[in-house]
Amino acid sequence: MDINEIRAGVLGLLSRIAPDVDAERVDPKRPLRDQFDFDSMDALHFATALSEAFHLDIPERDYAQLASLEGAVQFVLSHLPAGGGAG
Amino acid sequence: MQVPFRLPSLGADMESATLTQWLKQPGESIRRGEPIATVETTKGLIDIESYEDGVLTELVSLPGAKVPVGAVLAHLEVDAAHSASASRAAESGAPPIGAPPASVPAPGSAPAPVVAAQPQRLRLSPAARRRAQQLGLAPETLRQTATPGGVLSLADIEQLDRAQPAHGAAERTAMRQTIGAAMARSKREIPHYYLGHTLDFGPAQAWLAAHNAPLPVGERLLDSLLIIKAVALAAARSEGFNGYFRDGRFEPSAAVHVGAAIALRGGGLLAPALPDAHAKDLPTLMREFSALVMRARAGHLRSGEFTAATITVTNLGADGVDVLYPIINPPQVAIIGVGAIRASPWALEGQLLIRPTLTLGLAADHRVTDGRAGARFLRAIAALLGEPAAL
Repeated sequence: MDINEIRAGVLGLLSRIAPDVDAERVDPKRPLRDQFDFDSMDALHFATALSEAFHLDIPERDYAQLASLEGAVQFVLSHLPAGGGAG
Repeated sequence: MQVPFRLPSLGADMESATLTQWLKQPGESIRRGEPIATVETTKGLIDIESYEDGVLTELVSLPGAKVPVGAVLAHLEVDAAHSASASRAAESGAPPIGAPPASVPAPGSAPAPVVAAQPQRLRLSPAARRRAQQLGLAPETLRQTATPGGVLSLADIEQLDRAQPAHGAAERTAMRQTIGAAMARSKREIPHYYLGHTLDFGPAQAWLAAHNAPLPVGERLLDSLLIIKAVALAAARSEGFNGYFRDGRFEPSAAVHVGAAIALRGGGLLAPALPDAHAKDLPTLMREFSALVMRARAGHLRSGEFTAATITVTNLGADGVDVLYPIINPPQVAIIGVGAIRASPWALEGQLLIRPTLTLGLAADHRVTDGRAGARFLRAIAALLGEPAAL
């Protein structure tokens, strides 16, 4: 799975957990909280969706790395199980 | 026997709503608590639930119609043996709360549509629906735009709004006006008093971290949920904070239905109820809270959830607010504001420590309680949060 596939996947998850967000207009670097008023429940839904879709264990202390779209993409990229990466 | 299915009042300031969609058709079986229709109000799209078990026999209102509170939307055929109490509930507009999400039984007979000219069912992507709702675009407008069988996208909605700028701008303020009217009424009628209480959130935070660590992300609890549960338990054990002030007197409620204030991204605020929060364990409550937030954001709250709350909790901690003293949501008599959890200097047994602290703000109704009772109520919440394992 390459970074573009991951990015598309993460974007799809974002649209699913926050259907009231226009995912096409996401600024990848800006925190989701600043762009879309993400609260702790949104953050939890996002982490849950990432964890389930990419089969990742995401400890609470790592939530901060999921604050932006790009942060989440990088987190997934660096935590994908061996063999699942480098598509 | 036939009973009417009426548009319930979903708030003191609601006078009418626009029927958006029928979720059931004549001939279909309906369980009590099951959504029958979606209406659009200034608070967004709301699924209206049935008060009865029965069969939908006749649709009276068509999608797109603006109907007043109390108007008959449809007729149901119900078992007469069970209808007496249920129809009273329907007449008083009291929606069912806590009804299990009934599974839909397959219709026993083929649907026999009474309404011949059923308009085309609108299909919108979730983001499009939300945006259309924000912009206040009428269902008729959307229906005219939709190609038969097609799905309206967010881009379609934006284009529609640009085509009629004046309309969108005017409707956008509707929710703000609704909130304004409710809050003005609250400030006019309710003699509020306000108290703040700062507590050591350390025990709750430590318990939560240990509880969450081994769990998959989807089963973890939020700190805001512990606070909701603590408020619910304290409200159940205190007098004068849980219930309604109506017709000049306080009506206490035995069950605690906690209204959870949820900010909408387009602006505005909803406070739907978590039913029986005092009696549910934390994992159950967390699942319900999570689903409630999702449905509020997607514009699919159920009618019962709008009117059921007996006390409200509003949390601005994530926004960095230290303390807030909210306005009571009538006919309730108390509301708790939750501030940010911060590492703060904290004196304990002569030692200066750094602890995560949190300030609760209470606004309560002086017609029902005094400041001392309010102080006890806040202390009770703080004590519960000090023993999180007992939540």
